[in-house]
Amino acid sequence: MSASPSFRDGLLAAVPTLRAFAVSLAKNSDRADDLVQETLVKAWDKQDSFQPGTNLKAWLFTILRNEFYSQMRKRRREVEDSDGAITARLSIHPSQDGTSDLTDFRRALQLLPEDQREAIILIGASGFSYEEAAEICGCAVGTIKSRVSRARSRLQEILSISGEGDFGPDPIAAQVTNSAALA
Amino acid sequence: MTRMYKDVGQGTGNEKGMTYQKMEKGRNGAKRSAADPLGPNSEIGRKLRQYYDELIADDIPDRFSQLLNQLQQKEQPGSAAKED
Repeated sequence: MSASPSFRDGLLAAVPTLRAFAVSLAKNSDRADDLVQETLVKAWDKQDSFQPGTNLKAWLFTILRNEFYSQMRKRRREVEDSDGAITARLSIHPSQDGTSDLTDFRRALQLLPEDQREAIILIGASGFSYEEAAEICGCAVGTIKSRVSRARSRLQEILSISGEGDFGPDPIAAQVTNSAALA
Repeated sequence: MTRMYKDVGQGTGNEKGMTYQKMEKGRNGAKRSAADPLGPNSEIGRKLRQYYDELIADDIPDRFSQLLNQLQQKEQPGSAAKED
């Protein structure tokens, strides 16, 4: 069974967001590109197991995430073997420094534990629902919720943003403020 | 009377907030409301999306479309053979 052109197009269309997710996980754009490449090859080989009509993006994110963690386990063993030689090469994506006012935010994001970082990216940036994120990470919806919540608190703490949720306009307050402005 | 009605209508149905919520929902394909801890009212939420959008806007290396072309050609050697 040969691949339909649309499967190829679907993969190609997903590359930018896959790459953004990969950079967020790997913190390094060379490694991120390798991850995306590996993901595309794996997805191609496994395309028969993809059910058309289901969420291709979520399926690809799952493959990429699995690949990331299996590479990381391998890398950890290598690091133990070669005593820091590889650690020295694990540098931060250079073009990400000082290009915008997001520098502090990027640093803060990188301070998060991996499970919290991936959860807040999937929910807050990649546009997945809690259910989809739970499926991608192979855990319970409640686990994703608590990881996102811890990630958010931690980011607020690092960036010294004090309880924005408590002071920002909730939907009802927003209505009142807007009505007042119109009056 | 009529005028008052009009004012009330504007006040409740046409908030900027609601338009923004709609946009967020469309863009992310997931439910986003003003009460969402990572929604439009959250600074962390806004920065997350800004951070991610910058990454998405990065130039994509050609290697990915080349790779997909290669994979496809491997799969259909008859139709994709272009060698002279």
